[in-house]
Amino acid sequence: MKQTVQMQKAQERMAPGVITRDGLLGSDRRPLGDILLADDAAVKALDLDHQAVAARMIELRDAGMAGLGEFIDVAPHYEVRVDTVRGKLPCPFADPGMFPKTNVTVRNRRTGREITFTDLNIHLVQAHGFYEGKGCAFRLEPKDLAEVLEIA
Amino acid sequence: MFTSAFLREFLIGVGTATGIAAVLAIVMAIADATIGNYGKVKVSINHGARELTVDGGRPLLSTLMGEGIFIPSACGGKGSCGLCKLRVTDGAGEYSTVEQPWITETERGQQMRLSCQVKVKRDMRILVPEELFSIREYKTEVVSIRDLTYDIKEVTLALKDPPEMEFRPGRYVQFVVPAYELTPEPVYRAFSVSSPPSSRNTIELEIRLVPNGICTTYVFSHLKIGDAVTINGPYGDFSLRDSDRDIVFVAGGSGMAPIKSMLLDMAEKRIARKTTYFFGARAVRDLFLVEEMRTLEKRLPNFTFVPALSSPLPEDKWDGETGLITEVLARHYERMDNHEAYLCGSPGMIDAAIKVFKAKGLPDELTFFDKFS
Repeated sequence: MKQTVQMQKAQERMAPGVITRDGLLGSDRRPLGDILLADDAAVKALDLDHQAVAARMIELRDAGMAGLGEFIDVAPHYEVRVDTVRGKLPCPFADPGMFPKTNVTVRNRRTGREITFTDLNIHLVQAHGFYEGKGCAFRLEPKDLAEVLEIA
Repeated sequence: MFTSAFLREFLIGVGTATGIAAVLAIVMAIADATIGNYGKVKVSINHGARELTVDGGRPLLSTLMGEGIFIPSACGGKGSCGLCKLRVTDGAGEYSTVEQPWITETERGQQMRLSCQVKVKRDMRILVPEELFSIREYKTEVVSIRDLTYDIKEVTLALKDPPEMEFRPGRYVQFVVPAYELTPEPVYRAFSVSSPPSSRNTIELEIRLVPNGICTTYVFSHLKIGDAVTINGPYGDFSLRDSDRDIVFVAGGSGMAPIKSMLLDMAEKRIARKTTYFFGARAVRDLFLVEEMRTLEKRLPNFTFVPALSSPLPEDKWDGETGLITEVLARHYERMDNHEAYLCGSPGMIDAAIKVFKAKGLPDELTFFDKFS
């Protein structure tokens, strides 16, 4: 994918110390366009699109909100906790608004697997198809998301 | 002939390009050493009540910290918590893109800035609330680490230098995490104090593990008894109001900390106001300090502790309150006209509890909270 000027600026904002201390790219040295292209292909290979992935993340986050900060059972076999720490983050693609530092932890009791994502993750998947760089603490592997969240 | 002429042209071209690159490198080095070097800069605080002369070029937040003036900040200066606001009446320059979402129109009129995002480049005038001058940095030593639950630890710090801290119950401190594998430089995170003000030379914190959290991962995986820890504080304005109204405390998870500090202080001061503390958890394994609260019930005659479980397990054999803490609150009170409420926990819990309080007649001005947001 061609690295546009906007994409280059977004990649600069993803560097350590700009939006978050460790940045959003981890050890990934690829141009942002290539990262987006690879994850887009990974999502398509799962017969999904970014909107479907984000919709499932939102669905589970919203169900987990009812737990008021503690884990809550969500049908058919999930435990979800929506926890918030102090602070808000802007979108590296310079979209308007700020995103609360909300951690959504989803435990899939059927598979025994767990995944954590943030409000910013949801926005980045939904609006940009961005799952963060390889090696980043908040990197979401599309395959893991699809398996843990059982996105059909 | 053609070959030697071409070679000469080529060499001249290469030489010229190399020369230009060298000159540019020298210019950039000089620029870096001069333009980027702001020299000594004066910072005038509170209309000249205090004057600082500092090295220019660093953010205002860390510049002030270097001078022993600590401004509240929970994100370590990345512009993501919005806590470090200060009025900069002169010398701040334009608002940065990171600052803009945090500053309201009213605050813009007051020349409010995020001190972590304002670089000290020239003489500056700032206004610092007087109470912030009492905030100090403390060298401490870890004297105890106790598992309260599988994801909450109680960390006790002995104050070494200075050896005592004065604070009101409900306040928080910033814990400095040194560089380790998750952070190349020290970072600051805010935690409420759970010990009472009377234990002036120790500070107790209750720290819940945050997924991928730099500070909490450090505490859970690296911190050990005997370690030196730097903190600064106390910060905040969450504290018990002086009135004769009945008190309702509501908390979940590590929101226990400031409420516990307030209760211990009330017990020591023999404050006998009718007080009910609702603590929400999922199952017995998420409950903690229950015995301490039962002991407090004996010390404080008008105090009742109400733990509530939203999803007790069969093996818990729980016969106490069940349901979300908001459901328990709604069941417990018909009206709340002569009450005041203090809440600490997740924004979702606090927002939901405030709705219940409003429905029961408790006005906003009598609801006080420390929201984790």
